[in-house]
Amino acid sequence: MGGQGAVLADEYTAGTPLLAPRRANGEVLRASMAYMVAGLGGFLVMGLLGLLMRLDQGGLMVIPPEWFYRLMTLHGAGMVASILLAGLGGLAAAVSATTRLSARVLWIALVVYLLGTGFVDLATLVGGFGAGWTILYPLPTHGFVWTMDSALAMYAGYLFVALGLLLFSAHMLYALARSHGGLTKVLALRYLFSGGRDERNALPRPPELIAAVISIDSIVAAAAGAVYLIPLFAQAAGIVGSVNALFAKNAVLLFGHTMANLSIYVTAGLVYAALPAFTGRAWRTTWPVVFAWDLIIVLMLINYSHHLYADFAQPIGLQLLAEIASYAVALPSFIVTIIGALALIYRSGIRWTAAPILLALGLWGWVFGGLGAVLDATIPVNQVMHNTMWVPAHFHTYYLLGAVAFAWGYLFYLVRALSNRGDARASRMAAWLYGIGGAGFIFMFFVAGANSVPRRYAVHLAQWQIYARIAVPFVVLLALSLAWLSWDIGARFKAAWRGTHDPTLES
Amino acid sequence: MNPHVVLAVLIALGLIWTAGWATVLLRSPRAVPVETIQKSEARVRLVLLTSFAAIAIVLFILTLRRLPYQGTRIMELGPPPVTVAVTGAQWSWILSRTRVPEGVPIEFAVSARDVNHDFGLYDPRGRLVAQVQAMPGYTNRLVYVFPAPGTYTVRCLEYCGLAHDMMTTTFTVAEQ
Ligand SMILES: [Cu+2]
Repeated sequence: MGGQGAVLADEYTAGTPLLAPRRANGEVLRASMAYMVAGLGGFLVMGLLGLLMRLDQGGLMVIPPEWFYRLMTLHGAGMVASILLAGLGGLAAAVSATTRLSARVLWIALVVYLLGTGFVDLATLVGGFGAGWTILYPLPTHGFVWTMDSALAMYAGYLFVALGLLLFSAHMLYALARSHGGLTKVLALRYLFSGGRDERNALPRPPELIAAVISIDSIVAAAAGAVYLIPLFAQAAGIVGSVNALFAKNAVLLFGHTMANLSIYVTAGLVYAALPAFTGRAWRTTWPVVFAWDLIIVLMLINYSHHLYADFAQPIGLQLLAEIASYAVALPSFIVTIIGALALIYRSGIRWTAAPILLALGLWGWVFGGLGAVLDATIPVNQVMHNTMWVPAHFHTYYLLGAVAFAWGYLFYLVRALSNRGDARASRMAAWLYGIGGAGFIFMFFVAGANSVPRRYAVHLAQWQIYARIAVPFVVLLALSLAWLSWDIGARFKAAWRGTHDPTLES
Repeated sequence: MNPHVVLAVLIALGLIWTAGWATVLLRSPRAVPVETIQKSEARVRLVLLTSFAAIAIVLFILTLRRLPYQGTRIMELGPPPVTVAVTGAQWSWILSRTRVPEGVPIEFAVSARDVNHDFGLYDPRGRLVAQVQAMPGYTNRLVYVFPAPGTYTVRCLEYCGLAHDMMTTTFTVAEQ
């Protein structure tokens, strides 16, 4: 058996009926792999920018502030876009096993999305734009060292990224709804509200359910992006005088925070798709799975405002709602996804190759970052942690040791299956080193945050430099392990790409 | 709230989580049929769900008593006898007075002239003790009682452009 059959009836998956494909599609797998390679490649480049910034903050190298903030802006925007892209690609691959997706739409969405990232590159590297990835109004128009044109290029970049995401998500929702006979069936609403008794409709597989959930929120995020950007364009064109600062902040965070959140939830879908293949246990769509993911649709959209606790003008009811939503969103993720994954691994006889190691590291990081986030989402704690290094600490943990680990793990799984070649033994060591390097790196952010070191400072006081200095060797360890993992993927990539051309895949 | 305590809590919870995670990984190589663990999985879920929900509810109620917002603070401390008008602008702070008494509630009425800033209050030891956003078009009121005299530093904590990291000023808290 080759091709798609090989993806899913791999040596690990024997006896896992859940993953048997109904329909195979090599074209979609190729598009998915392009997403993942572009996304993880972008992650590597943006990571190097991060290393430069850490060297600067440690006083080990001097980057002029003008350049520091340009790189910081590119690093932030680029990371969110890259990691989300890698996750979307993986999810398309996972869903394509059971749902017919259009490779053409995926490629068009990718081109539109990458066009957006191209504009962001131009805005920052050429145009000198450095208002931060949050492009918080009205800073983009008050930069002094960058032009209005560069701000417009940045807006255009975001617009194309949002448009690419919109295309992808709308298509994903359409495809899922078509194959299940309606959106409510993909979300298993009847099953949910009957308490799990009404099983007349076939339940969606977890990756399908998750794809529907994140597609809905992606569409909302893209709409929020438009709501944010349209007044900004109008202002740039002189049509409106000014935009309300609090409204702008709510809109941009709804857009940006949801974009960032989406990455982790998309890649969590990859865990549902890949982990059963290594443990030989199916991950079934149970009532708690449906409940957790349907709930996340709502919770993901209201917890953004925990970044607005220090905006005392925000109505107090919204502040308290944000705290409740932040606590609440942690519960289904931990109780259902994390415990579910651990139960899949526990006494399963799993063989620890690179892919499951990376997935397991992602579970660790997701929870550890979540602990940092839940603490910071507690209003009195936030008073002394907001906009210190504690904030980058929690989302770097989510990203580096959550979403990215999941995405690498899934790519290893895909390449392994399609190339029919196992990973190098040394990759297991590299995967563990990735965890150690990542943990040391993010931990220094937490320590710095607890010592009140502000985030987004080009120049650090002498007493703050120690945290960045200790972080640097861990980043080097990360870079080395990533270089190895990339090499291992690269060595088998051609064979994997050929694997997607297997005649059994084309239907 | 002491940030070092928060870090200690994170480390403690992180260690518990790491121990649980590592236990699962270490017990993964020996295979047993999935049916044999399903019961304990459900039990673990229920225990964690109820205990976490209980912790979250307690945490939320504690939060309500320690909100940093003006109304809560005034209810707790009484009306502040001293008000300091603060304006943030790229890239400096303008304070209506630079000497305030210790031990009494001080109200900082914080606004911004151009872009968003954040009024971050650092004590003489360099620890962030309170903060509030400085936003164009809004006046946010932060009420704080300085427990000890000394030189306090204001740092901007909302990224505001080129000289964001240099946007600082100091003021004196005098003994009563
Ligand atoms: Cu400022």
